[in-house]
Amino acid sequence: MPINQGLSHFSDHFLMVALLLYFLAVLAFAADFAFGRRATDATRSAEPAELVPAGVAAPAAGGAQAAGADGAAAGPPAATATSSPATAGAGTGGAGTGGAGTAGPTSGAPGRPGILGRRAGLPAGPWVRAGLGLVIIGLALHIVGVITRGLAVHRVPWGDMYEFVIAVSCVAVIFFVGLMIKYRPYYLGLFVMAPIVIIIGLAQTVIYTPAGPIAVALNSYWLAIHVTAITLASGTYVVAAVLAVVFLFADRHSRRVAAGLPVRNGEVFRLLPSPERIDQLAYRTVVFAFPLWTFGIMAGAIWADQAWGRYWGWDPTETWAFITWVVYACFLHARVTAGWRGRRAAYIQLAGFGCLLFNLLGVSIFVTGLHSYAGLN
Amino acid sequence: MSRRPRTPSRIRVRPGRAVTTAVLAAASAVALAGCAGGAIASNTPASNGQSFVAGSPGTTLYRAGAGPQAPAVTGPVVGGGRLSLASYRGHVVVLNFWGSWCTPCREEAPDLAALANHFRSAGVRFVGIDIRDSPASAQAFTSDFRISYPSLNDPGDTIALDFRDTVPPAGIPTTLVVARGGRIAARVIGPVTYSGLKSLIQRVAAQPG
Amino acid sequence: MTETSQMTSTSQAGPAGTSPPQPSGGGPGTGGQGTGRVSPFGAQGWLRWVWRQLTSMRTALILLFLLAVASVPGSLLPQQGIDPAAVQQYYTSHPALAPWLARLSLFNVFAAPWFAAIYLLLFLSLAGCVVPRTFRLARSARALPPPAPRHVARLPSSARQQTDRDPAAALDAAAAVLRQRKFRLRTGDGWLSAEKGYRREFGNLLFHLALLALLGAVALGGLFGYKANRLLVSGSSFANTVTALDTFRPGRLVSSSDLQPFSLTLNRFSASYVTSGTERGQPSAFNADVSYTAQPGAPVRHDVLRVNHPLAVDGAKVYLIGHGYAPVFKVTDGTGKVVFDQPVPFISVGNSGLTSEGVIKVPDAQPDQLGFAGVFLPTAVDVGGTLESAFPAPLLPRVSLVSYKGNLGMDSGPPQSVYQLNTAHLTQLPVPPRPLAPGQSIKLPGGAGTVTFTGYREWISLAITYDPGQLPALIAGAAALAGLLLSFFVRRRRMFVRAYPSPDGTTRVDVGGLARSDPAGGFDEEFAGLAEALRGAYAGTTVADDPQLTTTSPGERD
Repeated sequence: MPINQGLSHFSDHFLMVALLLYFLAVLAFAADFAFGRRATDATRSAEPAELVPAGVAAPAAGGAQAAGADGAAAGPPAATATSSPATAGAGTGGAGTGGAGTAGPTSGAPGRPGILGRRAGLPAGPWVRAGLGLVIIGLALHIVGVITRGLAVHRVPWGDMYEFVIAVSCVAVIFFVGLMIKYRPYYLGLFVMAPIVIIIGLAQTVIYTPAGPIAVALNSYWLAIHVTAITLASGTYVVAAVLAVVFLFADRHSRRVAAGLPVRNGEVFRLLPSPERIDQLAYRTVVFAFPLWTFGIMAGAIWADQAWGRYWGWDPTETWAFITWVVYACFLHARVTAGWRGRRAAYIQLAGFGCLLFNLLGVSIFVTGLHSYAGLN
Repeated sequence: MSRRPRTPSRIRVRPGRAVTTAVLAAASAVALAGCAGGAIASNTPASNGQSFVAGSPGTTLYRAGAGPQAPAVTGPVVGGGRLSLASYRGHVVVLNFWGSWCTPCREEAPDLAALANHFRSAGVRFVGIDIRDSPASAQAFTSDFRISYPSLNDPGDTIALDFRDTVPPAGIPTTLVVARGGRIAARVIGPVTYSGLKSLIQRVAAQPG
Repeated sequence: MTETSQMTSTSQAGPAGTSPPQPSGGGPGTGGQGTGRVSPFGAQGWLRWVWRQLTSMRTALILLFLLAVASVPGSLLPQQGIDPAAVQQYYTSHPALAPWLARLSLFNVFAAPWFAAIYLLLFLSLAGCVVPRTFRLARSARALPPPAPRHVARLPSSARQQTDRDPAAALDAAAAVLRQRKFRLRTGDGWLSAEKGYRREFGNLLFHLALLALLGAVALGGLFGYKANRLLVSGSSFANTVTALDTFRPGRLVSSSDLQPFSLTLNRFSASYVTSGTERGQPSAFNADVSYTAQPGAPVRHDVLRVNHPLAVDGAKVYLIGHGYAPVFKVTDGTGKVVFDQPVPFISVGNSGLTSEGVIKVPDAQPDQLGFAGVFLPTAVDVGGTLESAFPAPLLPRVSLVSYKGNLGMDSGPPQSVYQLNTAHLTQLPVPPRPLAPGQSIKLPGGAGTVTFTGYREWISLAITYDPGQLPALIAGAAALAGLLLSFFVRRRRMFVRAYPSPDGTTRVDVGGLARSDPAGGFDEEFAGLAEALRGAYAGTTVADDPQLTTTSPGERD
């Protein structure tokens, strides 16, 4: 079937507009940091200890005023776990923390610490709402761009490196939007979308390949299975890596604060939740991605057996996928080992992400093997 | 996977642990063997693009009457006609798998030709089996080396396949010595030497029936 | 460390029957622990210490990391098992460095002993931890949850509730709720204990055991499997026997008679290419029409071999790996005899037009041996004076030959590559360079003979593999994935409920919860939800909870 060039150009245009919208969203998120409403002392209450999805009603209200003072839930009904006694004193006004008896959603009122601490419970500021809106519209266009590319080439649209990078960034943005809706990590907007903008920009310029027929060896239904799984896992790993970087900065900041050392950009860090919660979110993200990556490797092995006669041949891409898997496995083990949580685990995770980047991009460019389908010369 | 702290009273070598260790040792040994075997084995050619399996050189000798019965080999002869191994029953037969493109085969060809002439009067018959050659190349080879014994053409490897269940030719060149009764008495993988094959033939010829 | 010294001191007196403790300086972990006793380690103690270290999580982490690091050179340096030609290339371009790398097995990393040591140690460590835990799980799988602690309210996650119902009824209601949520229950006098999430440990162990099984499957394939290659020109056939194969890589326990005795004939090969657009010249489909018999004498079957569609015959699998052109040459020597008349496989140089190079060796030509180095162009066009192939299909096939005579070096010495001509003892013949069309010939000077390009055929390269460990590996992989999902998404939880009659006639109910391991967080909201559900289960009026009591949650647990 001939390539539909018209649809292919359509796809390019959609992706360009999506890129533009993402860029504007980055500006909006940055503006939120600069001009957004500051958390005041009254609202900067004790942080909940656990990461809780928004919208789940819980009887416990951390730092809540005694039962009866809750009033109607206003704003997003972010349920909270309760504060530990140690932090109960900070800014709760000394009211006894409510027991487990208060019924119904509480802590929705402004000033309640939401799941993300200081700024949760507040309605999202106008900049964040604008940024998120831009991201969502951009994502819709992004998805349309991916779909039209697939229609243009009559197959799943991840058959060469350009298509793959576009698809991975799409998955990353979808995951990011999902996180935003579920956990409301508004601080994340800037740190995730900025790299996405750079990635898509590079994809459109440096590694762009026009729509073309697929290589014979890739012409199999396994493309939809293996590469899809890898794409989904990679997109999720991107978000996890961003979280790890944010965690490292936040952790360094909080250590310096605790040690009484001078800090820079304290304003920015005060808007972030505690490093532990960022770490937990990063862990959950990796937990989502790791089985996908494992499945992707398995599907790749089955496909390799169909195409090349052996299910594992230590081809450079296979080897680096294995290395990536091992390093992320290291991360998962580290996180349940005392003394290895926190910074060390984050470093391991970033090492794994580095291996992932080399696996997907470096090997295709620098090393020749059976997997060289980059479409680059 | 940290251990629970144990109280001294519970420290004993439990049967479970011993079993575990034994199983592990066995598994490791198997794995080690298997993994090493997965690499290129010794009888593969060097990485120089030669397109055949040389086989690990060596001679296998069977005790008199203990070797497997040679299969019925029959086929077209290079240069015309047909030949059947059954017609040589009662004679010692030397079967040589060769190809004109194969350097070790060319190296041993003069020795084979000379031995064939030497043992003709003794009733030893030589038969060549030509692998992956066109008739033109095969004829050119036999006339170049003045080979007086017939060679069968085996384009579809059917003759080699016939030997699979007995003593397969495990490389090129391979020479089989078949005793008078039709049993395979010896196999040489790799090029033969004049003296080596001569003594082998004399040995087999000395065997009864 | 303390426990190690305790262990060793008692192990001395254990059934192993080692010598009685002597006041010598012990190994690591002994002495200096403030016990006042210095006990020797002894051989068994050392072994035990090594075993403890090996099966610790930290060692596993280090070995995992080492495994990843050790794989890196295997992906960056050319490997012998994958691309031997590239290894040779490396030797020529790095003559000083290459032998050292070879000594460290860096050209064959994945078969190197040090690599094997790393993963064997890792699997040993894994097995040493997982197997005992499997026994423990088997034993405790039916075990009931532990009895509820006396002071449930002191648990990190707890709630205190009041209800009108009497204690027994309250406990029953709580039991009903927990049972509905798949908790395993144990009741006692005034208390209730519940646990769920056993599948998490099962999943965890399943995953790790499946990895062990995967290693076993790989070993199985390595022992009993084989890989072979064969280049087949269209119109010819071959049988799966060692003399007919180009390369043969058997497992340790494989012999020549273990090969499946099938025969295969290539009837026709056709390739289609993209004819227009930006991808012009890119192949779009390969089809190899083959007929085969599974054993000698079996009925002949037909199949179309394609990429991603291997042929399964008698347990082995045949894959279409590559293709090319084999121009047919007829050579007449100086005496006028036809000494060569067969197709010669030419190998593509790698460009999109499938320009191919090859060598014709005629060692039995008289009076001198003849050799030719040729280039085959499927669609030959003149581009600025040089001949290039513009399209991979044979639309305008041409061959250009360079002719030699002399000694090919084939009569003695090491085996030669069939794709390379050793010109050391050859002299080039002065022949005007003229590309040959099919049917044309060159008359060699000096009466050396003639060479005719009679036509062309296509060849395919086949990979023949047999791997008995393939299916076990697949099953092990699937089991690993299932175990992984279970271990990630099943949560281990314990809930305890105690009901006391209160002095004012109501019943006080203490509810507490524990999360066995909670790296992802989230237990507190889960506990809150459970407490809510329990409270809702007690029918009747619910008195407001005691606001003085805190529902505590753990701080950041490490």
